[in-house]
Amino acid sequence: MLGKLALAGIKNRRRDYLVLLAGLTMSAAIFYMFANLATNKAFVKANGVVGQSMLIFGFGAVLLVLITIVYIMYANSFLLSMRQHDYGLFMMLGAKKRRIGQLVFLETLILGTVATAIGIVLGLLMSRFLVGFLLNALGLHLAHLVSFYLPAVVATAVLYVGLFIAASLFNLVKLTRTTVLKLLHADEEANQPQIKPIRQMIAGIVGLLLLAAGYWALASIKLLQIAAIPFAIVTITLGTYLLFRATLLTIIRWLRQTKWAKTHLNGFLMGQLNFRVYNYTRMLTIVSLLFAMALGAITVGSGYHRQLPLLANNFGSYTVAIHNKTAKEQQLIGKLDVATQATYTQKRQGKTVFYNAAEFKQQPYEFNEGTMTPKYEKKTAAEMKPTDLNSLDFISMAVMGQNNFYTPKMLKAAKFARQPGKTVSVTTIRVKDIEKDRPTLKKLNQIELARFPHASELTVGNYQSYELMLAFFGGLEFMGYFLGIAFLAMLASCLMFKILSGAPGDKRRYRMLYKVGVRHSLMRNGIAKEIGILFMIPGIMGVIDVLFGLQMFKPLMPKPMSPYLGIGGTFAIFIGLYAIYYLVTLALYWQIVLPQAPATADHK
Amino acid sequence: MTSSNAVVDVHGLEKTYGKANERQYQALKGLNFQVASGEFVGIMGASGSGKTTLLNMLSTLDVPTKGDVMVNGHDVTKMRGNQLADFRAQEVGFIFQDFNLLESLTAEENIGLPLALKGTSSKIMDQAIHEVANTLSISDLLQKYPSELSGGQKQRVAAARAIVHHPSILMGDEPTGALDSTSARELLDLLTTINQEQHMSVLLVTHDPFSASFCQRILFIKDGLIGSEIRRGDQDRSAFYQQILNELGTFNE
Repeated sequence: MLGKLALAGIKNRRRDYLVLLAGLTMSAAIFYMFANLATNKAFVKANGVVGQSMLIFGFGAVLLVLITIVYIMYANSFLLSMRQHDYGLFMMLGAKKRRIGQLVFLETLILGTVATAIGIVLGLLMSRFLVGFLLNALGLHLAHLVSFYLPAVVATAVLYVGLFIAASLFNLVKLTRTTVLKLLHADEEANQPQIKPIRQMIAGIVGLLLLAAGYWALASIKLLQIAAIPFAIVTITLGTYLLFRATLLTIIRWLRQTKWAKTHLNGFLMGQLNFRVYNYTRMLTIVSLLFAMALGAITVGSGYHRQLPLLANNFGSYTVAIHNKTAKEQQLIGKLDVATQATYTQKRQGKTVFYNAAEFKQQPYEFNEGTMTPKYEKKTAAEMKPTDLNSLDFISMAVMGQNNFYTPKMLKAAKFARQPGKTVSVTTIRVKDIEKDRPTLKKLNQIELARFPHASELTVGNYQSYELMLAFFGGLEFMGYFLGIAFLAMLASCLMFKILSGAPGDKRRYRMLYKVGVRHSLMRNGIAKEIGILFMIPGIMGVIDVLFGLQMFKPLMPKPMSPYLGIGGTFAIFIGLYAIYYLVTLALYWQIVLPQAPATADHK
Repeated sequence: MTSSNAVVDVHGLEKTYGKANERQYQALKGLNFQVASGEFVGIMGASGSGKTTLLNMLSTLDVPTKGDVMVNGHDVTKMRGNQLADFRAQEVGFIFQDFNLLESLTAEENIGLPLALKGTSSKIMDQAIHEVANTLSISDLLQKYPSELSGGQKQRVAAARAIVHHPSILMGDEPTGALDSTSARELLDLLTTINQEQHMSVLLVTHDPFSASFCQRILFIKDGLIGSEIRRGDQDRSAFYQQILNELGTFNE
């Protein structure tokens, strides 16, 4: 009978349960995707940048487990906040605590197991599509990447079901220890935090100092090595927590005294935030850190993606060099977006390659004189110095064998005509955008390699350098995007649940406001502002964390790359995604909280 | 019949719950009554007689199936959306059995809410709050939160919120229902004072004869219709109380 009642209770709150189930499913799916990568040793070994990738993935896994624990805690409190009134009612009607305990335990566990099962399946599908999409978009190829990996399935199932058993036990203990009356009136209490100004000030200052220490540690990663990361995580977490605790309430209290707080619903908004922010300090701290990690990961990932062509362009002056170009190659060249192009005649004899100075008068050779960013300069034969002749990209035009080049020599036109040797024409091409022309360049390169095989570790032209670096940094780039998306999805869901778990209590408050005659639009705006502020606080803190935290990647991003280059676009996209979460939370909150106006249709 | 000084005029009010194809229940079956400006009227009836349904119609929280409800010259059945909200915010003051105070706001902020909604300047707001707090002797409670107040104090704060914006009518839905007898009497005395000194019309819905004895006129509802009506006239309160008890005795048979 009680089981039936419980089921009926769930049916009545279908929508809330769907939200909960969807969130948990997403979380399990994301965890599976991550576990799929992290536990696949073959994949990590094949694609990581040296030995560090195992460490990075290990670190990521620990973080994700921590986030998952926090996440399930919040989801569970959301569940409990929905159910406690019903359970209280059952107990009042004479249901035994033991029986209620069983019910709670089963309900939590069933919900969790179902979510885990769906989540793993969803994770499989997502692995297939998202990973495929990411690799495609980034133009990467990663070896040993499969969507179904048994150890990952096991890891996800064990972790989630384990956590849900823990959550069920927690619910059991909590419900059986609370009195019936408390359960019935659980959402009617609102404690008002006390403020002690001096303590607040000290906490604020200590918080700032800890934050500064954390940022310093990140910037000094060269000095502190890997120890910088745990140190920074501890100091920044504590610092953020203390700072939030010290400042947020003070700001809200101060705002409450102003005239602004006495218009429309502003006073109510401040009152809500006042008792909410205090309870939310821990959650806001965690979310701000997650936000920073997600944004940081994506920024670094996209940084590599954006900056590799930049780095590649700096290696030499031309993108590809084509020897004795064929009609097919000429056709491919026609498709390129060419910045400069020149064709020279070589005469190769012994260990020397001869060039015709007259050709260089007609088409001066373009050198790349830049050290940080490319700086092109055209020189005729007369303007070239001996060092220019020996520059890497100049000698690369005539490859002899493994690490071996013909020595270039410039001859006057008449002398060149008389010079014996094998005649080869070489066409150097610089394109405007390596990434855009990559498919055509790839074909050209393949034809060239087939016709003139040379040592594999040799690169001729920036295109080959680019491909080489892409293979090297690709793993990092992919991980950046992947972790970023996973963290964002988790953190936003955490925030969403924490906020949604306050909704049942708010329902009553908004019902009161409705009775007192508050316009619907005013209530909607009020809720939008309140949730907006709760989303903004960790967002702002997270952005600050990232701006400092990117210092950490300076050693990993050699000049001319910089972790800060072009981060505006990445930030905008990330904040856009975050905003979508905000809007979803808001829509759900409106649905749950706003009182329905009485139907007017049936009035005659 | 519409008299010009009626603050509430209900005509042919019907309310049926349930959709046409479901089992229907008619809570109100055609009510007619008026409340004159400055009057203190009680509505009595047993549980399920339609008291609360009536009050919900008057306060626009629910919509009648048929009939007209005029409050201070506004036809509330014709209002929609924001008009309804504004009407509740400006024309009606409300006291509920369960106080309906926002626990995240101090007493002062709770009382100021209707004025804030109107967009009153903070200077005038402060003045109005302190005036009403004086009247209800809750000046020393203004900075406290509802959780720090007793039931009686909460209800006085709620009363202050209900009258701070000078509504045309004050409606109470069992306002003494959750109070002890001393607090209940204090609150009823306050309502009487507000009615007499500020000439504010009061409509009290109750099933408690003691509360009802503070009214000038009492309407008895039974099964969705007004069954009878008694007036206090010149009698003192205890005599009126006796009359109510007698009326209830015969009324319920």
